[in-house]
Amino acid sequence: MALNQRLCGSPLHAIDRRGFLGTAVAGAAAFAADMTQLNVLQHPVLAGELKKQQKRCILLWLAGGASQLETWDPKPGAPTGGPFRAIPTSVPGIHISELMPQMAKRMKHTCIIRSLNTRNGDHGGAAQLMMRGRRDEPNLKYPDLGAVLARELGRRDSQVPDYVSFYFATEGRGMSPGTAGFLGSRYAPMEMYTSMVPENIRRLDGINDLDHKQRAELRDLLSKQFADGRASSSLGSHNEAYQRVRGLMASEKLFDAAQEPQKIRDRYGPTLFGEQVMVARRLIEAGVPFVRVGRAWWDSHGENFETHQELVPELDHVMSALLDDLQERGLLDHTLVITLSEFGRTPQINPSLGRDHFATAWSATLSGCGVKGGSVYGKTDAKGQHVVEGEIGAAQLFATIYRALGINHQKNYYVGSRPVPLTEPGTKPIKAVLA
Amino acid sequence: MKVIKDISIPSIAFALARVPGSNRLLFGGSDFKVYDLDLSASKPEPKALGEHQSYVTGLAVSGKTAVSGGYDGRLIWWDLEARKQIRTIEAHTKWIRKVAISPDGKVVASTGDDMVCRLWDAADGKLLHQLRGHAEKTPHHYPSMLFVCEFSPDGRFVATADKVGHIAIWDTASGKQVKTLEAPGMYTWDPVQRKHSIGGIRSLAFSPDGKYLACGGIGKISNIDHLDGKARIEIFDWQKGEKIHEHADNKFKGLVEHLAFHPKGDWLLGGGGANDGFFLFFDLKSKKAIRQEKAAMHVRSFVLDEKAETLYAAGHGRIQIVDLKS
Repeated sequence: MALNQRLCGSPLHAIDRRGFLGTAVAGAAAFAADMTQLNVLQHPVLAGELKKQQKRCILLWLAGGASQLETWDPKPGAPTGGPFRAIPTSVPGIHISELMPQMAKRMKHTCIIRSLNTRNGDHGGAAQLMMRGRRDEPNLKYPDLGAVLARELGRRDSQVPDYVSFYFATEGRGMSPGTAGFLGSRYAPMEMYTSMVPENIRRLDGINDLDHKQRAELRDLLSKQFADGRASSSLGSHNEAYQRVRGLMASEKLFDAAQEPQKIRDRYGPTLFGEQVMVARRLIEAGVPFVRVGRAWWDSHGENFETHQELVPELDHVMSALLDDLQERGLLDHTLVITLSEFGRTPQINPSLGRDHFATAWSATLSGCGVKGGSVYGKTDAKGQHVVEGEIGAAQLFATIYRALGINHQKNYYVGSRPVPLTEPGTKPIKAVLA
Repeated sequence: MKVIKDISIPSIAFALARVPGSNRLLFGGSDFKVYDLDLSASKPEPKALGEHQSYVTGLAVSGKTAVSGGYDGRLIWWDLEARKQIRTIEAHTKWIRKVAISPDGKVVASTGDDMVCRLWDAADGKLLHQLRGHAEKTPHHYPSMLFVCEFSPDGRFVATADKVGHIAIWDTASGKQVKTLEAPGMYTWDPVQRKHSIGGIRSLAFSPDGKYLACGGIGKISNIDHLDGKARIEIFDWQKGEKIHEHADNKFKGLVEHLAFHPKGDWLLGGGGANDGFFLFFDLKSKKAIRQEKAAMHVRSFVLDEKAETLYAAGHGRIQIVDLKS
């Protein structure tokens, strides 16, 4: 019997904590088997326990390269500073762009990292680097952040997706696809390109439910026969992906923005990005450990300031709504919200009033779970051209993200018998960023 | 066209004005300062009059007074003889994009991204009218921008134009809207690849007889990462509400940042650019570009002298004086 079927809302059926823990921990799959029942989360005991048990991550992927100077590291008055002013935040001494007044009020949740030097100004290579935290080897393709977190934070028997990625704009999509690398298809993302609801997850009209189950059983039987005597982690991963089919088929309502009260929808605003971030919150609330929302395309070689006048207020509004929403639901302490691009933008302003690609001194943010909110790590020079304090690369950022989420960044995976550490050997997380 | 003087500056000049009948220019730009430039000096060097708190984007001269506007939302009145500030007004809640002066020098118009055009008494800075009618948001829910305003030659009307290509013409005396026009070809929203927008009407000019209104910007762009669309001019018989011509340049890409008619209406001149700059001379009778010249910089603003024999241009890192007789 699914958990939701045992809960009618009557006090007589209220579940005790011990009973719940036994159910929720050991039988999370039962809860997850029918994710259409989000009202489970409205039960205070259940919701509270679920929230405590799982860490999650939402990546706001600012594809194309958001300008650090128009967001998190303003340089007002410098020749490279552009026209925007810096405004004080709720944390004394920290200033951000005037385009982000709402985030300025919520700075206590956020750590700004202003000292990324990632040395790659090419969209494709940089996107891969910042999605994976390292470069692939000729014979080894690494999993990206989402796949690692799906593996580390997802429940093995979970039937909700472990890794969902929204990326509706077509520009740059091919440069930063989600990839499970050597972890195999079990941890591959559910990529959402055109529809807010996963496509092709409904059972075909010509097949009844019994047919569908029997086909799955036949596939499982054949697969087990094929696997017999073969030792392959990718084969196992492949089969696990199939075992989650029915749960995924039942997850359609999770993606349905219309399920949210109008008041919540209004809070996130009318744009596609707002809607996707709101659905990301729905997903992580229901147990999905990692969601990437790609907001493209920030590549402002021409009219940088006008592009940022459009995109930064949207980011400010939506990110603020997300942090508020997570906090009100008791989820913020367990959810890490990241803003990250493949690189930043040049301090130099070109004749088209654009800024070009720049990986030498740029910014990212971490908010919520495991980080020291209301802080700034690293520093760039007066014109924003170089990092002068706390320089870090992608590996250190990823080590910090893993540690913030309670994951040992030195943990080894094994590809065959080869140990593969989660981050490059010797990489250290940034202690000053961690709570 | 022959360049007479080429003065290098360490900033981007967005706004330019000339004290009528003189060799004195004023300009302002990305270093927040308003400069005075005496071209009759043997080695003309810009001298700062004062400064805003952000980019200076509008300048107009009335007699011995100049008015500057900037992204700080402020209008500043300057005494050009005493070389000092007369007054500062918090004129707009968002960026000021353009400042214009009526032909009789009595009314100053300013437009800002708060989507209001405000008319001011040039003498005392008193607010005369607030012209509201441009939408604050684009159809895609993003902030719009009110880029430009311009007076008709008789001063009776002032035209304003915004990011999505909406043009409004207002009665200067009453502040009432008398006409609207649309030039949607100046605005590109990319719903598929990049999901944001670019463009907008950046320049306006009335013909000397007041009959036609020209607007300038950039045409549809396939890759909005760059100013990669054809320079575009549209011309309206504005009182009839008819578009009489649209010109998509076959040589230059980029924004038409500034427009001005020859005093006798012989031609319409547009200046602008992308990474490079250009000047376009356009003939209204034949409806053709009669001269297309590459400029040394992205041209942000220019001024013609009284006979349209000399062109003063400002832009990225340069002020240029060009002889149009040769």
